[in-house]
Amino acid sequence: MTLSIRNLRLSFGKTEILRGIDLDLEMGDCLALVGESGAGKSTLGLSVMGLSRGSASGEICFKGRSLFGISAEEFRELRGAEMAMVFQNVEDALDPVQRIADQIAEAIKVHSSSTRARDASRLAVRHLSNVGLNKDKAGMYPHQLSGGEKQRALIAMALVNDPDLLILDEPTASLDALTKADIIELLRSAIVGRMCMVITHDLSLAASLAERMAVLYAGRIMEMGRTEEILKGPRHPYTRGLIRSYPAMDATKDLQGILGQMVHGLPGCPFHQRCTQRIDICSLEVPKQTEKEGRIIACHRGGIVPLLEIKALSLTLDCYPVLRDLNISLCEGETVALVGESGSGKTSLSKAIMGLYEPDRGAVILEGRRVEKRDSAFYSRVQMIFQNPRESVSHRMNVLNAVIEPLLVQKKGSHEQRLQRAKKVLSMVELPIDDDFLKRYPHQLSGGEVQRVAIARALALGPKLLIADEPTSALDPSVQAKILKLLMNLQDRMGLAILFITHDIALARKISDRMAVMQSGRIVEEGATNQLLSHPSHPYTRRLVDCASGRYDGGNGDIILDRDVAELIAEPGDQSALEKYC
Amino acid sequence: MHIDALGEISHDPLAKAGALMLVVIAGLAIFAPLLSGYSPHDYTGNIFSPPDRDHPLGTDSMGQDIWARLLYGARTSLLVAGAVALISSSLSVLVGASAALVGGLYERLCMRIIDALISLPTIIVMILVAAYLRPSLPLLILLISLFSWPGGARIIRSQVLSLKQRMHINASRTFGAGKGHIISKHIIPDLSPIICALMMQDARRAVFMEAGLAFLGVSDPTVISWGKMMNQALAFTYLDVWQWWLVPIGLALSATLIGISFLSFSLETALDPRLRREESTEESISVARLA
Repeated sequence: MTLSIRNLRLSFGKTEILRGIDLDLEMGDCLALVGESGAGKSTLGLSVMGLSRGSASGEICFKGRSLFGISAEEFRELRGAEMAMVFQNVEDALDPVQRIADQIAEAIKVHSSSTRARDASRLAVRHLSNVGLNKDKAGMYPHQLSGGEKQRALIAMALVNDPDLLILDEPTASLDALTKADIIELLRSAIVGRMCMVITHDLSLAASLAERMAVLYAGRIMEMGRTEEILKGPRHPYTRGLIRSYPAMDATKDLQGILGQMVHGLPGCPFHQRCTQRIDICSLEVPKQTEKEGRIIACHRGGIVPLLEIKALSLTLDCYPVLRDLNISLCEGETVALVGESGSGKTSLSKAIMGLYEPDRGAVILEGRRVEKRDSAFYSRVQMIFQNPRESVSHRMNVLNAVIEPLLVQKKGSHEQRLQRAKKVLSMVELPIDDDFLKRYPHQLSGGEVQRVAIARALALGPKLLIADEPTSALDPSVQAKILKLLMNLQDRMGLAILFITHDIALARKISDRMAVMQSGRIVEEGATNQLLSHPSHPYTRRLVDCASGRYDGGNGDIILDRDVAELIAEPGDQSALEKYC
Repeated sequence: MHIDALGEISHDPLAKAGALMLVVIAGLAIFAPLLSGYSPHDYTGNIFSPPDRDHPLGTDSMGQDIWARLLYGARTSLLVAGAVALISSSLSVLVGASAALVGGLYERLCMRIIDALISLPTIIVMILVAAYLRPSLPLLILLISLFSWPGGARIIRSQVLSLKQRMHINASRTFGAGKGHIISKHIIPDLSPIICALMMQDARRAVFMEAGLAFLGVSDPTVISWGKMMNQALAFTYLDVWQWWLVPIGLALSATLIGISFLSFSLETALDPRLRREESTEESISVARLA
């Protein structure tokens, strides 16, 4: 074990910036520290380097030696020689009145007094050429270099004494994509055989450099594990929020931020104020880090909670099998798009979940409990938005009555409280709450307004899961965009899980995290939306994606007929037919 | 689609005419003591006297004032109409809606009973029953109601069956609403125009039936009825009295029936947009023009 950090705490005055960090780094490991600004990433790096002010406690063990309690002089010898840091701000890290080569030669001389000045300069020039700066550049002053070149110089400076621990603080911030690619290439070779910590908020950099990743929030590690796995399937709500707000090239869903601001020094879980799945204990106790399948998560609820699971659901209507052994699951705050042509059973599934149809077999599991009877508790967790708002809102009810209806049905609160709640949900869906509007009838409203009223109705009971059955198919595209934005905002705010039923793949692509493709009452393919759309594996999915992208000939000149695919799907066991087709 | 039935029919001239007729008849019935100096049971002494100042429609074979009897006969007709409409439509809603909502064996049982009742020859059974029991006004009302609710129950059942599948009712169910809430907040309000139409149909049939039965002699002897008066008048067709005895009564009866018919016709048109021929053609023409 060459670097181990145990229960590291650090505070500036009364504010605790690091609240018990546990980390281990082996030789050859590269760990990315990610998190939003102020999370304590740089402070952690600086405290390992012994450069942070503030009072620290805990233990940092570097190559078997505790770094707490060693003298400033000893620390100075370690720095540069055995551990080095590439600082964030390239403009400030270099001395503006010295040539680059001289600055590097100085770093060499500090750590080996025996080296002569000329040798040091020669070494410096060689190191600079190693990072791609030629002799001419080596003789220049920092202001004569571009940002990328300065970054290279800094990397060279960190590497001159061949340190075992390299800490990179935002090494590619403020670089353009091409320069960034060059620097990443350089860093990749630089970190080989060393312990490395990459401090960044750039997830793509973390993905390309580090095999492990730790997500920091307000001085605590929220999630730690293999980079690839975390980026593909975040388990902590904060990690998911971070990934959702990162504009990756392969992301298809619209960017979503995490609401609220980071506050240091909260009791309990540092993230609980912004977390949409918090429970009482979250504000009282700091969650312990638990390891499961190689992933460390600090969450009282064990990470993102699975909200709904449907197991082997079968439904027969009029002797015709509509759903056949269907499995699907949904997590808190997640949007799953259910796509497929009309008649594939999408709406029947939603109705079966809501209890409007009685399934023959199978289980609906909500928050870990099997739903036996759909009582008011179930309906206050799960709500539905119907396809045509003009039909789902009774034409005899004005806006107020329509929104109050669910509360009335569940006998929640006094009349005054219901009125307050109705006004609250109406303002959540961005509708006016003046008396004139409350007294209007559905036929006096526009399509978008009625759908908002329908959404407000569904929200009145404070559900966690929203089943949206083609909620925008009756609306024009600009109103549709507004409604979808609204749904995403509500998801951010309340952690709503949304089962979004649609036949519009392009639409599903923009709003869903995962996508499930349904055909003849079965889910034929399921996966992360971007993955599924870029590499559809099932022929039916491929056809759907092709047709949605305007390629009606299947890409190879053959026109795929519906019945061809239908025949293939009719006998899913018949692999040979599938292979022949593929 | 939102249909404001009352608003719709208030602009319909047909409905206005019907309502006017009914209001006049009802006015005659209510203000009968003021409109005539005689009691319908008074014997004036003059038989078959032609219309004059004392007797606007003359007197009948017993010397009773025909105008007074016409006014009080309207009371009977309207009482029967109202009572039957209430009883019969309540039964229709109760049985039809419960059959549709409960379903299963209960529904099948209800519908077979309705089939049986509809297939009975109404008039003959009624005459037999009324003849066997002593005919009285309450019995007549009950009998007419008993034979007019099954048709309505069928209509209500089919309406409730289709309403049950409506989205807003499904939406209400997804809030966890029970049957009570759905019936009182959704089904009854949605049924109300249909129930109105049903009541009018029942009322119209009741007026006609009461008059018809009385004409055939099935009637409470103490009750003044237009049907009975027409029967009496017909016995004297060889005299000229029918002109002021038979015709005014016939006109009053017709006015009542036509008034109710006009109203229900207009209501039906308002409720079923497919019946609005002219407007729909105009609309389709304008759509075609736009295209």
